[in-house]
Amino acid sequence: MPSLKAVPVAFDMVTPYGWGTGSCWKGLLSGTSAIRRIDRFSTSLMQTNNAATVPDLKPTRDESLVMQMLTPLLGKIAPEIPSDTFVILATTTGEIEFLQRSVINKKHEAIKSRPDHLLNKIMLLAGTCGGGMVVSAACVSSSAAVSRAASMIRRKESDSILVVACDSVSEFVTAGFSSLMALDRHMAKPFDKNRCGLSLGEAAGFMLLMSEERAVREKREMLGEIAGWGLTNDANHITGPSKDGSGLSNAVLNAIKSAGISEKEIGSISAHGTGTLYNDSMEMKAIKKIFGNNPVPLYSVKGGTGHTMGAAGLLEIIIGFETLNKKIVPPTVNLRDTDREAEGWVFSESQSFESPVTLSTNSGFGGVNSALVLKKSEKIL
Amino acid sequence: MIAVTGIGWLTRKEYGCLISKVNELHEGFDSLYSHFKHKSYFSCPVKNFGRFDAISKMTCFSTALALKDAGISYSVKHKQEIGIFGANEAGCLESNLNYFQDYIRSGRIIARGNLFVYTLPSIPLAEASIHFGLSGPLLHLFFNEKRISSLLSFAGDSIAGYETPSILAVNAEENDAICFVIKQEDDISPGKNIGLQNVIAAAEDTCTFDEMINAFKGIV
Repeated sequence: MPSLKAVPVAFDMVTPYGWGTGSCWKGLLSGTSAIRRIDRFSTSLMQTNNAATVPDLKPTRDESLVMQMLTPLLGKIAPEIPSDTFVILATTTGEIEFLQRSVINKKHEAIKSRPDHLLNKIMLLAGTCGGGMVVSAACVSSSAAVSRAASMIRRKESDSILVVACDSVSEFVTAGFSSLMALDRHMAKPFDKNRCGLSLGEAAGFMLLMSEERAVREKREMLGEIAGWGLTNDANHITGPSKDGSGLSNAVLNAIKSAGISEKEIGSISAHGTGTLYNDSMEMKAIKKIFGNNPVPLYSVKGGTGHTMGAAGLLEIIIGFETLNKKIVPPTVNLRDTDREAEGWVFSESQSFESPVTLSTNSGFGGVNSALVLKKSEKIL
Repeated sequence: MIAVTGIGWLTRKEYGCLISKVNELHEGFDSLYSHFKHKSYFSCPVKNFGRFDAISKMTCFSTALALKDAGISYSVKHKQEIGIFGANEAGCLESNLNYFQDYIRSGRIIARGNLFVYTLPSIPLAEASIHFGLSGPLLHLFFNEKRISSLLSFAGDSIAGYETPSILAVNAEENDAICFVIKQEDDISPGKNIGLQNVIAAAEDTCTFDEMINAFKGIV
């Protein structure tokens, strides 16, 4: 049984809907998508011209796109971050512009794209000296980082951890996903019969987690609880998920066990829901292995925010806490004609639910899967 | 207690299994795949090995040696609940450069998907997990200090936290690699396993790869 609770005491993010968790929540509830035309590099030979980009970010020589997102976010919260806080950075490509420029201009600055360099900048911004590390596990990166933070708190290795997640839409990534023919030409349509690929997105966010004991001692507002987690690997294929969903269902079972709850207590599910044919089908199979024919409200944010890669897990965990507080799940944006496998589970309208427990899942290249059980703060109940 | 039950390592000239005291010279990485098949370190062909990036190849070689050292047989079909965690100095920087240089050379017309997939630092671990049938957690990590001892501690903590019963901890670079099999054991017995804390302490006291291997030889 859990020995110590891991509680978020602060979180915020910037998403393609704009600055702040509130703007993302409002955007998702409105049912409109933040996927728009890419204007920062030529897309004429790409599979799509569209991605969910953060308004007003501009490539510059001095500051990477992820630092343009992180500097204001962390600058605002830095005074509230204890200096002994351990930092976990989750990203897939980080400051990839340095590498792009070094190749295009034949300059030796590719090394500046390494994520450990970004980690050092973040620790400086946050004003911490409690150590840090980078977690990289494809699209599971930030949910794995939050799992790790909760695990460190539960095992009393640390009582204050800052998880930072970020990724940006770049030529590097867009050309790569185009080459895999993984992108929807227009906009991702998770769980729709006519889905045909994902839309890339960008985001950055942070979550400051503390042990419940420290949060109480420092009179911090507790915004929920990371109650359980599970990480697994399909060991099946580099770019495709295991078709029967067994890897993801095992991650969910591990998360439920780690939280010490029954699946019947879970009132809603934030799915990875990329909009690719195989991912969404695999997820419905995995979820049905656990929940049988008893649908709970299930949604994907990626028709709205795009697939924000290494930041996706954290973005979805933050939205998961919003759903617990508001007792509704947002509509699955761009859903027009629900796939038969998702009927009765996924809707184009918001759905209400009562349970104070929600599940957030992610899967990624290499066959990685994560599941987290989130609980509403007992103080709010 | 948490123990290291197998350690496999390789450099440009040699490879070895520390607990079973195997130490052999080899003729270079180019011929090592056939040599490993011949010696049955790979129990079946590694699918698509020829298109792996350098770090993926080194990850697979060192994993095969570590599993052999721990006496763990494997099959692609029968998955085992073993996690795989990796850390290395530069992550996937070389693969990122290879992919993007190739794309720029094409006149920004065609990016190659088989180069793009290796731009994620977790992919070499995924290649190993597919071949060796490892279905536990998979993570790539960068630590800002003491890379190998931090990786070993991280793996030990995950086992102690009941997140997975055993883990392969891999540090694979282009010229050398080492993999540790870490699991919960009833007791520590010389010649069979080594306490994780002893391995961590030995790793912390060394600077170069050769020094580290020699330090481990001293505690087996």
